[in-house]
Amino acid sequence: MSFLRNRWLHRLLGLALGALFVYAAWDKVRDPRPLIAIIWGYKLVPPGPTNLIALYMPWLELIIGACLATGFLRRGAALWATALLTGFTGALLINAIRGINVACGCFSTSSTDVQNAWFLALRDLPMLLVAVILLAFPPKQKTV
Amino acid sequence: MLPSLAVERRLFREAAIIVAATLLVGTAANLIPGRRLPWWGQGFVAPTQGTDFNLIDPIAAEMLRSTLPGVRVLDTRGEAEMAAGHIPGAESFPYQDAGTLLTAEAIASLGTADAVIIVGASEESDIEQLLAQELRLRGLAPPHIVLGGMPAWRASGLPVEGAQP
Repeated sequence: MSFLRNRWLHRLLGLALGALFVYAAWDKVRDPRPLIAIIWGYKLVPPGPTNLIALYMPWLELIIGACLATGFLRRGAALWATALLTGFTGALLINAIRGINVACGCFSTSSTDVQNAWFLALRDLPMLLVAVILLAFPPKQKTV
Repeated sequence: MLPSLAVERRLFREAAIIVAATLLVGTAANLIPGRRLPWWGQGFVAPTQGTDFNLIDPIAAEMLRSTLPGVRVLDTRGEAEMAAGHIPGAESFPYQDAGTLLTAEAIASLGTADAVIIVGASEESDIEQLLAQELRLRGLAPPHIVLGGMPAWRASGLPVEGAQP
């Protein structure tokens, strides 16, 4: 498993996952209002904190993305990416089990962009795997 | 054991810095006039067709616009897109500015219109539906949303004002 600690692999995975996070956050950062409808559509969060999530989560995604891509605070960002992706996947799985297809809000702020929740949860898994690698297998420190 | 503890401490410090940055930037962004949202949600009821808005195809929208004298057309796109071509007589009405644009005078003025047509940038009419709901919540009749937005309007060969040659 030592290849998972390769510095260049981490740079590559960080850049790829970071770019995805920045892309996913961009529209939501510009206008978080449609995201409220999407979060509401998950039927998991009570009305009160819905706005707080819509206000802060896009910025968290953007900062995580920037950190992953640039390598600055990369492991901390990987920890948050793992937490977020676990949360997203869990939320999608709950709705998949309930038989509710939701607008993911992953890469689009359209609440009418409803897709199969099982598919959306599966789509999150490779990203979650990358986040876990970045978190759990930090690159080897250079030996002098 | 000690180096590992130090590494984990560093990990949580990094995570805490990211949270602090998020709270700072997120709070600052929500203090910018025009994009301010209530911090605590009051619940969300999705806009519904028939109650909050009616969908109308571009041809029917043009018939409405050209036959009734007092039709108002609200365009939710940005200034640059508006400048590149818009429905004749359309007014720029970005949804993120609704809070400041929907003054009592503006509502009263829209209330006297024969019909209100809303058009947006794309086939997804989420933003337009949310704007329509805002208007409905302020006591106006359900506005008409152009099905397919400006791309459909252009594709139907209907008049466009201010288009680049």
